[in-house]
Amino acid sequence: MKMAWKEMKKYKLRYTILGSIIFLISLLTLSISGLANGLSQDNAALIKNMPDGTFYMEESAEENHSFSALADEQIEELKDIDPDVTLFSIQMGEFQDNEDKKHSLAYVSAEDAEMFPETAPGEIVVDQSFQEEGFEIGDTVSTSLMDKDLTITGFAEQEKYSHSPVGFINSEDFFEMYKTDTFQLAFTETAGEPVDELSHFNNGDFLNTIPSYSAEQMSLNMIIIFLYVISGMLFAIFFYMINVQKLGTFGILKAIGVKTFTLFKMMWAQMFIITIISLLSAAGISQLFNMFAPSGMPFHLTAGMVLLSSGAFMIIGFIGATLSGIQIKQVEPMQAINQGGA
Amino acid sequence: MSLFQLEDIKKEFKHGSTKEQILKGINLELKRGELTALVGASGSGKSTLLTIAAGLQDLSSGSITFGGQNMSAMNAEGIREIRAKYFGFVFQHAHLVPFLTVREQLELMLDTAETKWSKKSRAARIEDALKTVDMWNHKDSYPESLSGGEKQRVAIARAIIHEPEILFADEPTASLDSKRSIEVMELIEKLARELNITVLMVTHDNDMLEYAERIVEMKDGKIIES
Repeated sequence: MKMAWKEMKKYKLRYTILGSIIFLISLLTLSISGLANGLSQDNAALIKNMPDGTFYMEESAEENHSFSALADEQIEELKDIDPDVTLFSIQMGEFQDNEDKKHSLAYVSAEDAEMFPETAPGEIVVDQSFQEEGFEIGDTVSTSLMDKDLTITGFAEQEKYSHSPVGFINSEDFFEMYKTDTFQLAFTETAGEPVDELSHFNNGDFLNTIPSYSAEQMSLNMIIIFLYVISGMLFAIFFYMINVQKLGTFGILKAIGVKTFTLFKMMWAQMFIITIISLLSAAGISQLFNMFAPSGMPFHLTAGMVLLSSGAFMIIGFIGATLSGIQIKQVEPMQAINQGGA
Repeated sequence: MSLFQLEDIKKEFKHGSTKEQILKGINLELKRGELTALVGASGSGKSTLLTIAAGLQDLSSGSITFGGQNMSAMNAEGIREIRAKYFGFVFQHAHLVPFLTVREQLELMLDTAETKWSKKSRAARIEDALKTVDMWNHKDSYPESLSGGEKQRVAIARAIIHEPEILFADEPTASLDSKRSIEVMELIEKLARELNITVLMVTHDNDMLEYAERIVEMKDGKIIES
């Protein structure tokens, strides 16, 4: 460790260059992770905020809940499995404010759902983003889908669906708006038991039924994986080049009796020092960005994600550096002695 | 009393399908505190013999006994441990670690030899060693700022700081001018005498032989005079 630090101090420039590259890559990775999570929240916070459990929808809807309608006998069967089953529906829609300006949202209606805000007929609880737009409790909004107005009675924290804010309404109003008399979906916190003609999903699988969710997340996750691979390769290439330059020194150190493992520990210590400094800087900047990012920007980076990402960088850096360290194992003292040098 | 014994040492190198025998059955004993010079023409096998004796190269057959232990039967880790604790090395080039100061080169050797001395004692020994080689004033210098002779003196201090039993010196004066060569040889002789260190030295330089108590001459992989 002492030797690793001394070398880094002596050759500041070369290690600063590597550190800067790792810092930039980790910042980019954390930024894209924040964006991926932000978009995921923007797309599916409504579902992600729900506890773990099982979702049911009609099999014939082919994983598109808009086409699902639960039959009475299916609902009875679900209530036999879990008497506290939550029935709910989600449908994209819009409303107009007092100035006739249209706002799109996802209407959500549920029956006896503790996890969603309760509303009486004629009431609506909307996502807090509407409050940021200037809506207040008591404001009335109208919709072309039914004749009567809805009064805002509250704001819900971070409730989004399919990149739209959510509006919770009473099922009576929902049925009137969408000309239906039943719910699309059921949710139970119990393990998924099969029900005739119903598909069931766990939370993760249900997220993937949201249009564009998996495509969006897959693209971003692919970029993140590539960035991890690139950072691992960078470590391997950089330490390979540094090690090639130091083969003579390694050979002499081996000749005087330094253990090969000690030389590996020196390289690992350098890798960890560089990674920790780079990650701390990148995490600090990304958290600042998280705090000051524009409210409309779907960026959400949690401390857990930063820790997970940092752990991944450490492991990948360790693997990259270790692969390049094969040279250290192979170098023979005689090579260095015959080469001459300082 | 014999500290180090080489018995029937043979070394072959393969060049494609042909074999070249570099050492052809060497027998040599080194006594404690004795300075032995290995001489001979280029290609006589003296450097190969020194590096094999020091555990830096494998031997094809024969046995090496150090302090009663059969080194030729040891694994790589066992030989490394002997090198670190009981051997010291001075090569033709100083081979100092470029990113360590003069003092740190010696600290590294003490760490490698896993000496049990206290921090205070280590510091005192480093000071003594550097004063002995007249490099105390350069204790915080890096190798890049030292001359060839200064580097070689630091290499000697590094080689003896852990009080080894044997010092292996492979042409220690070959890269130095005659004045510096004499300084380095006087230093090696003085240290060997004061610390009772056995020295096995390879040299081409006949002027250096006056410091040796024993001269072993090699020719074509054999000892012809001892």
